[in-house]
Amino acid sequence: MFLNFETVETQSLADQIIKENEIERYLEKGRDFINDEEIWEKLNKHVEPDPVRVREILAKSLAIETLEPDELAVLINVKDPELGEEMFATAREIKKKVYDNRIVTFAPLYCGNLCINNCLYCGFRRENRVIKRRVLTIEEVKREAEVLAGEIGHKRLIVVYGEHPATGAEYIRDTIEAIYSVKVKTRRGYGQIRRVNVNAAPMSIDELKMLKEVGIGTYQVFQETYHHETYAQIHPKGTVKHHYQWRLYCHHRALEAGVDDVALGVLFGLYDWRFELMGLLYHARDLERKFGIGPHTISFPRLEPAANTPFVQETKYKVSDEDFKKVICLIRLAVPYTGMILTAREPAHIRREILGLGIVTQTDASTKIGIGAYSDRYTEQELERQQFQIGDPRSLEEVIRELAEMGYITSFCTAGYRCGRTGERIMDLLVKGKERIFCKLNAVLTFKEWLDDFASEETKKVAQRVIEKEMEELKGMVPEGVYQKLLEYYQRIENGERDLYF
Amino acid sequence: MERETFISKFTALAERIKQTYGVNLWLVEVLGKRHSYVAGHKEDSFLPPEPIYLNDRFAVVSNEWEKIPEEERKQLISFLKEDLLK
Repeated sequence: MFLNFETVETQSLADQIIKENEIERYLEKGRDFINDEEIWEKLNKHVEPDPVRVREILAKSLAIETLEPDELAVLINVKDPELGEEMFATAREIKKKVYDNRIVTFAPLYCGNLCINNCLYCGFRRENRVIKRRVLTIEEVKREAEVLAGEIGHKRLIVVYGEHPATGAEYIRDTIEAIYSVKVKTRRGYGQIRRVNVNAAPMSIDELKMLKEVGIGTYQVFQETYHHETYAQIHPKGTVKHHYQWRLYCHHRALEAGVDDVALGVLFGLYDWRFELMGLLYHARDLERKFGIGPHTISFPRLEPAANTPFVQETKYKVSDEDFKKVICLIRLAVPYTGMILTAREPAHIRREILGLGIVTQTDASTKIGIGAYSDRYTEQELERQQFQIGDPRSLEEVIRELAEMGYITSFCTAGYRCGRTGERIMDLLVKGKERIFCKLNAVLTFKEWLDDFASEETKKVAQRVIEKEMEELKGMVPEGVYQKLLEYYQRIENGERDLYF
Repeated sequence: MERETFISKFTALAERIKQTYGVNLWLVEVLGKRHSYVAGHKEDSFLPPEPIYLNDRFAVVSNEWEKIPEEERKQLISFLKEDLLK
């Protein structure tokens, strides 16, 4: 369905969408939890950190405890290269302790690019006339899912929607149901999308309850920037997105609605990265304090070029590659239990380098972000169909092979979500270091499924070595009964059964 | 039966099973492909969770069903199914 660009009355929409009582209930003394002055004060207070204090903080991270804002401020200020190395080593150790050796892969699926907002940095902004506007019909969404599940082999999607009445909560609900209904025969078994995560605009509690009913995975909303003044400048007045607190508390509303996996993120490049890191930590801590559940994942996209969007070139807050690596390390140390998503916005050489650090947990591959791009089968990027330009368009198979060569096992696991291991129950397992065992077991099984259904012989050879190593390690990590069950499931998958998990 | 009443009955039953056989049972709500935890003792072993569906909406999950005598297991499931119909 192609739609003409249309102007909508955004102010009246803002009045309809934003429910002040679903913000005020979370405020304390009328304020939100981001105090800009306090953040700068902390960052400026710890400019010359004592190495002893730094090591105490690293020990706390390693014990999988969320840091205090002052502690993160100390780590942000570390300039000593040796201490820096220790920080990276600790971050690597934490990732292994919480998630073991697996990298989960997924794909984005853009369902529409109509948007009522006018964010200066975004290719989909309302006033950007060069963008070809389109919203997928439910049949088109199914066709996209058939390619993703049946030809590429993805099991997990992040489905992305612009903020517009045409792609509101009811449309999102219908697309989730449509995606889950798809089942495609593959070489040895069948392909299905087992977890639909959603990246969409902030919603009300009732709307989020509707999405919970149809089995939403993670509800992902990025604050973009936590800095109040910058936020107001780049999200123009009169748009829905201008309302900082409506966005800031959408994860609170999701948790209140029973959607117990929520995801945070910042668009790095809009404001000072040190401030943004502090903002992420305050956000995670507020969720933990109020609901006992922190962010399921944190994303850290950097601004990328977009069609007819000069803001991207003009920003003075671009994050260099070196600082980007620090950002990733610091997120792992600050919120040790969280999943961390590195996306194909980044070029292949940067992704390779960052994955090699052993800190992140998830990445996308075979990524296409044009509307209808998977089933239309076009291969070149077309900026007028995309929100931004992606940096790494490699296929899932290429990424998997490279991960295997680096010693990582690719996981398509969605098990936690399928058996009630979400929210505070997964939090407990993550913090105690038990989740890594589930990760490892399910990585072996889901990787085996993908290899049997989709991999070339060349990839299978490299991957088989990784599977053997993982299974050998599991032998020494789990009770004999569990290991025997793993062998049984592995054989059943070999015989064509699918969706077996621990 | 009211949802809350059913959950509280289930919780009591799960507790009794835990005391008698040391087996964890938990109740999940089926929402699309998601099985959302509702009540009961969540697993503390690494054995795979096996759901027994009570209807389209609810399932009881355990990773040690075999430790509950078969007759008692059948009774438990049929009792819960009947409760859901009330």
